[in-house]
Amino acid sequence: MKIGLACPYTWDVPGGVQVHVRDLAETLIAAGHEVSVITPVDDERTLPAYAVDAGRALPVRYNGSVARLLMGPVSAARVRRWLREHDFDVLHAHEPSAPSIGLLACMLADGPIVATFHTANPRSRFLVAAQGALQPSFEKLRARIAVSEAARRTLVEHLGADAILIPNGVAVDGFADAQPLPGYGDGRPTVVFLGRIDEPRKGLDVLLAAMPALLARIPDARLLVAGPGDAAGLRARLEPDLRTRVDLVGLVSDADKPRVFASGQAYCAPNTGQESFGIVLLEAMAAGTPVVASDIDAFRRVLDDGRAGRLFDVGDPGRLAAVLAEVLTDPEAAAELVRRGRGVVETYDWRTIAERIVDIYQMVSGDRQVSVAAS
Amino acid sequence: MSVLVVVVALVVAVATYLTWLALRLDRLAARVADARGGLVAQLVARAAAAGDLAERCALDDLAASARRARAVYPPLLAGAALDGGVELVENALSRSLRSAEVAAAGQRFPAELHAVDSGAARVALARQFHNDAVRDLRALSGRRLIRVLHLSGRRPAPGYFEIDDALPVRDDAAAAHGEPFDHGEPFDHGDRPGLAS
Repeated sequence: MKIGLACPYTWDVPGGVQVHVRDLAETLIAAGHEVSVITPVDDERTLPAYAVDAGRALPVRYNGSVARLLMGPVSAARVRRWLREHDFDVLHAHEPSAPSIGLLACMLADGPIVATFHTANPRSRFLVAAQGALQPSFEKLRARIAVSEAARRTLVEHLGADAILIPNGVAVDGFADAQPLPGYGDGRPTVVFLGRIDEPRKGLDVLLAAMPALLARIPDARLLVAGPGDAAGLRARLEPDLRTRVDLVGLVSDADKPRVFASGQAYCAPNTGQESFGIVLLEAMAAGTPVVASDIDAFRRVLDDGRAGRLFDVGDPGRLAAVLAEVLTDPEAAAELVRRGRGVVETYDWRTIAERIVDIYQMVSGDRQVSVAAS
Repeated sequence: MSVLVVVVALVVAVATYLTWLALRLDRLAARVADARGGLVAQLVARAAAAGDLAERCALDDLAASARRARAVYPPLLAGAALDGGVELVENALSRSLRSAEVAAAGQRFPAELHAVDSGAARVALARQFHNDAVRDLRALSGRRLIRVLHLSGRRPAPGYFEIDDALPVRDDAAAAHGEPFDHGEPFDHGDRPGLAS
């Protein structure tokens, strides 16, 4: 199919929506589709061959953070030309609830249009204020996709329209078959933690509190902590006999992330705050490392109610130590977790996710192509 | 003179606005028509898959439901309304597809069962697309200005299509078939309910 993707946020500024659009575009291209992306960008040289420059976005303070938005006449002309030059079978606009290229593309196009809503925002002032103005664009959407249950709820509450839930994909290919970091993989039972070490929500303190009980059961166990933060301060707070059992390796590059997972016999996510989605858990499962995680909604969902990874009561170091000890000492149970984990990862693999999205494209595309709207 | 300019400007503004409303109505009508076409195509596909499974496994009840459903398609494809009669036969087919016999037969013919489940999942999606389009069209054509000026013309307001399309719950054996575990072909359609093309 000929597919046009409209990305709302600046391509060369890090962000979840941009990553989503990039991964989707590349998965679709690998599957043989013809894809063109239009996106704002600061430095045009960072654009891949399949992407088109929609201009420079304007930073706007919105909702507590700085959003970079784009709605001017220059961008409108570029979107119009992009639509005219491509004859897409389907236009897929991302986050059309933000005043940027996604919305602009919806306003200017006619025909089979699909939109994905990324943000969960229970009280979006923009959505409430602009609802009337957005309606003429939104009534062109033939299918709406939400990437999370929370994003879907936002849509239902603000626009009274339902959406199909298709989660973010995970690029899992790079995680299988990773080698352990130097000094690991020697058979010594190792627990891995990944995340900011001084952010309480990430729950490293719970894991550290569980270590004495774990060491009582498995004397040669150790903990590998990878993530940015104040390592010296953390080391000073550790009990002296724990210091030799906790390795702080600091921030690791994306390339080394799979190796961190491969270095452990268990990956622990002791988060105490609500997370919207457990991407790190999926990455650990893709690497074939058994997962032990807090029993919070998002993790429970990703771990298939505890079948694809073990859950423990949020903030309970005693339970955590017991569960970790079981995973580290029962290779058969661990292998079963890994096997089920791989099955879960498969359903979030970008190839599977893109397949579901293409299915929607095919259902809405019919025989009309996308054209430039008459007004 | 200046009064004339104001009057002309007003007339132009009102005419532009009304034209724009009429354009939106046309666009929504086209969207509803496409969605209706898509929904009918998915209903036809589901009944065909159900007929296949019924024939393979000699399921009389399912065969009868599929036959009754197929009888309503020629008029539908010719443009007849998706009315209460269609909803009745499609509901009966949904119920037959959720029966224990179908689940049991699916153990022996997983590919056929999978085709049926795929078809059912796509019917549910197509119905959502259709009803969303109908809702948007009805919301706009229900506006007072549009009703008073008859901007919708003679087009009758399209109706929602309400059927019970809840998907059957399959046990592990059947579900395992639905999950693609092959890493080989990136876009192997037809390996998961709701994904077959």
